[in-house]
Amino acid sequence: MDNWRRIDIDAFDPESGRLSAQDLIPPNETVVTLQELQPKISQLRSLASSGSMDSAVKLATSDPPYGADNSTKATYFQAVLEALTQVRQSDIANIIQQLSSEQQDVLVKYLYKGMSVPEGQKQGGILLAWFEKLTQKAGVNPIVRYLSDRRTI
Amino acid sequence: MLQLQPQNLLVQKTFGEAVEAFRDGNPLTLDRIVSDFDSTTLHISNAEGNKGLLYLSIRTRAWSSVQRCGSSGGLEEFLEAKYKTQPGVSVASTVESGYDYTLEVDLNVLQPESVVQLSLIKTLVLSYPFQLAFDEFAQLSNTPDSQSQTLHTVQYRDDENLFIKPANDRITAIFETAFQDETDKVFGKVFLQEFVDARKRNRAIQSAPQVLFSHEPPLEIQAHLQANRTLDSSRRFVTFVLFPRHFQTPELQFSTISQLTLFRNYFHYHIKCSKAYMHSRMRFRVDSFIKVLNRAKLDDEDDEDEEQVSHTRRTITGRKVVY
Amino acid sequence: MSQSLRPYLTAVRYSLEAALTLSNFSSLEVERHNRPEVEVPNTSAELLLQPMHISRNENEQVLIEPSVNSVRVSIKVKQADEIEHILVHKFTRFLEHSAESFYVLRRTAMPGYSISFLITNKHTESMKTGKLVDFIIEFMEEVDKEISEIKLFLNARARFVAEAYLGEFVY
Repeated sequence: MDNWRRIDIDAFDPESGRLSAQDLIPPNETVVTLQELQPKISQLRSLASSGSMDSAVKLATSDPPYGADNSTKATYFQAVLEALTQVRQSDIANIIQQLSSEQQDVLVKYLYKGMSVPEGQKQGGILLAWFEKLTQKAGVNPIVRYLSDRRTI
Repeated sequence: MLQLQPQNLLVQKTFGEAVEAFRDGNPLTLDRIVSDFDSTTLHISNAEGNKGLLYLSIRTRAWSSVQRCGSSGGLEEFLEAKYKTQPGVSVASTVESGYDYTLEVDLNVLQPESVVQLSLIKTLVLSYPFQLAFDEFAQLSNTPDSQSQTLHTVQYRDDENLFIKPANDRITAIFETAFQDETDKVFGKVFLQEFVDARKRNRAIQSAPQVLFSHEPPLEIQAHLQANRTLDSSRRFVTFVLFPRHFQTPELQFSTISQLTLFRNYFHYHIKCSKAYMHSRMRFRVDSFIKVLNRAKLDDEDDEDEEQVSHTRRTITGRKVVY
Repeated sequence: MSQSLRPYLTAVRYSLEAALTLSNFSSLEVERHNRPEVEVPNTSAELLLQPMHISRNENEQVLIEPSVNSVRVSIKVKQADEIEHILVHKFTRFLEHSAESFYVLRRTAMPGYSISFLITNKHTESMKTGKLVDFIIEFMEEVDKEISEIKLFLNARARFVAEAYLGEFVY
């Protein structure tokens, strides 16, 4: 090992007092499994395919599975992304008007997450349209709350 | 400067100066080495003990391959024939060591037109295989179904070649080129593509030679190349198809040859020019970004409003007191 | 401005405005050190905030990584073909060479991105935050414009040069 001088030995010290990303997740989250989430996902899909976009988005942005493991989150996220990208550009502003402040915060999380994965990047235009309409309504506030929120979706 | 000139300006200038100084009675002592494109070196020096006599020697990468194009001694005869008619120029009895060919120049009788011819010596060396091709073309065109087996190869740089192939209705000149630099490779592709398309697009230059560009060696030289070496993928082949209208008279022949022999230089010269332009443009743009960023800086003088002034203490010389 | 560029820049602007709330913060690890926490990520997870990805498409993205006293902004500039790739590379190298006068420019880009900025609390204290955001936005606009202009110039020059050369053969 030629770069042994660069090894951060403090990282191996259990008493170092450092916090890792896992330590920061707020406790007391109820653990959600894929089975429990499955009905919500199918409800989301059926709402999206039946065209009632406003209720689909509202459902997607309320009570997100903060306590689930990564693969469950990914499955749920896929369903949300599909719903978000099916909405017509002209309807976006209208739907955002109906969202509560908490739902807006969750929506921002899904938008940022969507733009960080290749599937969402292909749909960059529509996600950016969501983002623009959201900032027109709520300004910078949901973004600031996103920054400091340790609960990930 | 859009076009490159076939003559070597420095040679022309040196001889001009030499003649002038010689006429004025105080001849120059010369020992000058002049460089030209494609590892060509020209040496101009005084004859020993006679300042009225100059030697012009040339060494070029292409010499040995050009020599092989014709019969032995053919190239020397060709050059001698070209310079025989020029007053004051003759072939030196011995070739200067380290050089390929030496001319002897007598300043007493040297004419300005001969100076021009002297400065064209590199182009003339390269024109020999073309001349052979023109001659063979003249024979072939009389016998319609004949096929020529000749393929003149001029190795004018270490890894770049020029192939000249006469046929009974045309002469094909194929440049084999390689780019060392990655950027040049990409820029070269843009430029070469434009060479290919230019003739199709602009009706005014319809009668120019057809230009083709390929990664694969053209059929004319495929057999030759495969027999001789392995091909690597960085090679590019640029083909110029010359029709009889491009070499009907000696004047046309000369102008075609001098353009073609300068093709690689011209092309690379303009790639370099584009890069230089890009650099200066980017430099300018970087400066303009710095200006935008400087707008963000807090300017102490501007931000001081009434109440802040009272907090800023100054020394008697006007310096601010920094806490 | 094209239709999809405007929301992209708006998103970057809002995200930057939210992220550029920095405060002085001494290092927890080393006494009397004060370092941009976003650059020392494996020591202090609690000082890092949620990263923000903003993407117009796969080739044009911005990653904003905020922390308590610094923000790292990485920009991926559009590179449609190998000419644009070379131009972007040359241009960002040019900028990085003059990073000293750019204050907020990071000397190397983050892997996968064309260019990175590192804004610390020192910068937000000595510069107007709004103007800093303006600078980043203007940078993103101008880079695209500049790259496509240079590309057009290159093609125009190639065409002109080729026609001038072949024009010599017309008698």
